[in-house]
Amino acid sequence: MFETGVRQMRVAFATVFGRPIPVRALQRLVADALATLEEFGSPGDDVQHLLDGPYADPGLRVQLQVKALRRTARRMTARSSFYRDRFAASDVDPARLTLDTMRAVPVTARWELDAHGPAMRCGRPFLSTRTSGTTAAPLEVWLSRYEMELWPALVALSMVLRGELGPNDHVQISTNVRATATMQADVELCRLVGAACSVVGLVDPEEGLDRLRGRFGLAPTVLNTYPSYLGALVTAARDRGLGPDDFALHTVNVGGEMMTVALADAARQTLGASRIDDSYGATELMPFGGRSCEQGHLHLDPNLGYAEVLDLSTMEPVEPGELGTLVVTPYFPYRECTPVFRYDTRDLVRLPVAQRTTCELAAIPAVSQILGKANDLVHTADGPVTPRQIAEVLEAIPGVRWPVRFTAHATGGRLRITVPRSCLPPEVNRPGLAETCAARGIDAEVVVAVGDPPGGRPLRADFVLPRLGRQPSVAVS
Amino acid sequence: MSDLGVSDVAFALAVGLCLTLGAVFGSVFYFRRFRLARPAVGVFNGRDVAVMLAFVVVMPLLYVALPTWVLPTMLGLVFFGVLSVSAEPVLRQRWPRRGAIATLLAIDIVAYQTNTFTIVNSIVIVLVCVGAANLNVQGGFTLRHAVWFVLGLAAYDLVFITVIPLTQQLFAAAEGYVFAPVAVVRIGDFATAVGMGDILAYALFGLAAYKAYGRVGLRMAVAVVLVFGAIAPPLAPLAIGSLVGHVPQLIPAQVLFAPAAFAAYQVLRRRRGAERRMVSVVSSAVA
Repeated sequence: MFETGVRQMRVAFATVFGRPIPVRALQRLVADALATLEEFGSPGDDVQHLLDGPYADPGLRVQLQVKALRRTARRMTARSSFYRDRFAASDVDPARLTLDTMRAVPVTARWELDAHGPAMRCGRPFLSTRTSGTTAAPLEVWLSRYEMELWPALVALSMVLRGELGPNDHVQISTNVRATATMQADVELCRLVGAACSVVGLVDPEEGLDRLRGRFGLAPTVLNTYPSYLGALVTAARDRGLGPDDFALHTVNVGGEMMTVALADAARQTLGASRIDDSYGATELMPFGGRSCEQGHLHLDPNLGYAEVLDLSTMEPVEPGELGTLVVTPYFPYRECTPVFRYDTRDLVRLPVAQRTTCELAAIPAVSQILGKANDLVHTADGPVTPRQIAEVLEAIPGVRWPVRFTAHATGGRLRITVPRSCLPPEVNRPGLAETCAARGIDAEVVVAVGDPPGGRPLRADFVLPRLGRQPSVAVS
Repeated sequence: MSDLGVSDVAFALAVGLCLTLGAVFGSVFYFRRFRLARPAVGVFNGRDVAVMLAFVVVMPLLYVALPTWVLPTMLGLVFFGVLSVSAEPVLRQRWPRRGAIATLLAIDIVAYQTNTFTIVNSIVIVLVCVGAANLNVQGGFTLRHAVWFVLGLAAYDLVFITVIPLTQQLFAAAEGYVFAPVAVVRIGDFATAVGMGDILAYALFGLAAYKAYGRVGLRMAVAVVLVFGAIAPPLAPLAIGSLVGHVPQLIPAQVLFAPAAFAAYQVLRRRRGAERRMVSVVSSAVA
């Protein structure tokens, strides 16, 4: 109790004063949280306050954000030649930065990170990780040892206190081999919590399914993967006539792609997972991220970074209800090695119309769910159509084979959607699809293609490793 | 034989029984009725026992070394803190709660140097021990921790009574203070005293035994507290006097109590298995 109090104080002081977080203290807090659950069955009374963090307090938030941004900017200009030049060119003094004046600093584009990565570096590199490469060529990002120790401890503490992961769990990690940071963080997280862990990767869905059923030993209770791969697993399970009783899953954590309501429901019904956690994260922004609530908002963690929603053309803040791109500045001391200032994710979101949401995560600022990539937005005569609007319609068609691939373009001001026949049930035809879209408020011409539609982007489920046999995966417990 | 009479022993026995049983049953009553707020993360562990024992060792040294006004001030603040936290589930409204505690402590101050002071102060001490025992046990303090704590106290008692006579000095110093950490009861020509540390040890042991093994544990603990905490210490001077011809002024109660507590814990552990956790105590209470 006494030691736990001291550790909490150390972490709290580091958080408030922007000093490097004492990682060992944080890791031991995870053990303290596990001991607390073992003794009491639940965390103490003020756990929500601890989970929400100091930035959840609206009265303090702006003051803390300004301090965190100044601290982050000061460090960047002191250590990164790229940002030193950028701040100088913008005539912005990091020490006097405000939420208004920071807008004078241009957003950092993906290509700039690709081209000037070494000039942005502010810490000693330890691990190189890459983006998946589904939306553009894979981008390499270097991370420090401190970051790779800190992030899993932060996530582990949060998951243990929320009751999302415990020592009796077995986590199957089915993610891309390029995502080395995510994979290592997941393994370390399991080690801290005492959970078993199988690093399976993106294997053939049939094999992935066998592993989920526990055919090679312990059946996983938690699956970490991408929505498209989850879709492939659900489709394979339905083809084999499997149901919830064939699996031990209670949670599926997905991220990196859009997760539709229909696929989440299908995963619950087929795989038996009661909880589908659709979280937001990006390699360039780690550990900044967001959690989806039951009302479908995306709540971005204000403790780890500053998020803005900017108009796609003017790059000015959007009004509530308007579409924009998510621009994020992760704070030091959470992001150390390759920090970014006002990174333009090109992820489409809308600001909620209501000032404050009424969901279970209402204390944390929210935006809409990710609506797709800005480059995939289709401008029609009726207005912009987001990839999510189309995906939600197509993936909800009864009998559809997930993941549904499609391309969308505007032809003569009208939306034109191309869907491969292989994704659709035999009874669904073009007119039927167009009617379904119209019923959901999307006026579109629909084309059913024999093969994959030309110009379509790969999904993360496409990075499946070749099948080399059925050896058990590496298990750590 | 010395001037210690049978009446003195009987008086000491009666007072000892009242104080020890009052602390044990008061703690159990509170434990069954009220739940204290606890921090989001944190469980009492062995290192906390070490910290508690370190305080037990260091604080008396400070008491003797520091200016005379420091001791009552420190004790008053500690009493107020413990009573404030432990009274929270009893009286939810903050200011009435603080007012009630301040009034109780004010009565203790006003009664100082009157005949009623020892009674009022003894009640305050028992209440503080009940609160402190619940703060610890409801925070995850186990019977094993309680046994280690009383063994530590026994070692401390033995050293600071027989080798370094600090406890006598402390007793003499504290007896004259308001908020003295000694439950002194004086009626007429009779007087006896039980140290606050001893009362806390009995309350902790009794309550931890109840939490760990339910009524079986409580019965065993009460028997041990009665025999080795309430009865043996007042009788010990007579026995020592008859053996060595000199009646000691102070009896290291924990030296008698700790081995018995350790033995009782071993019996309970072997017969009843692992101690209950708070989660099963609360769920069985709900069921």
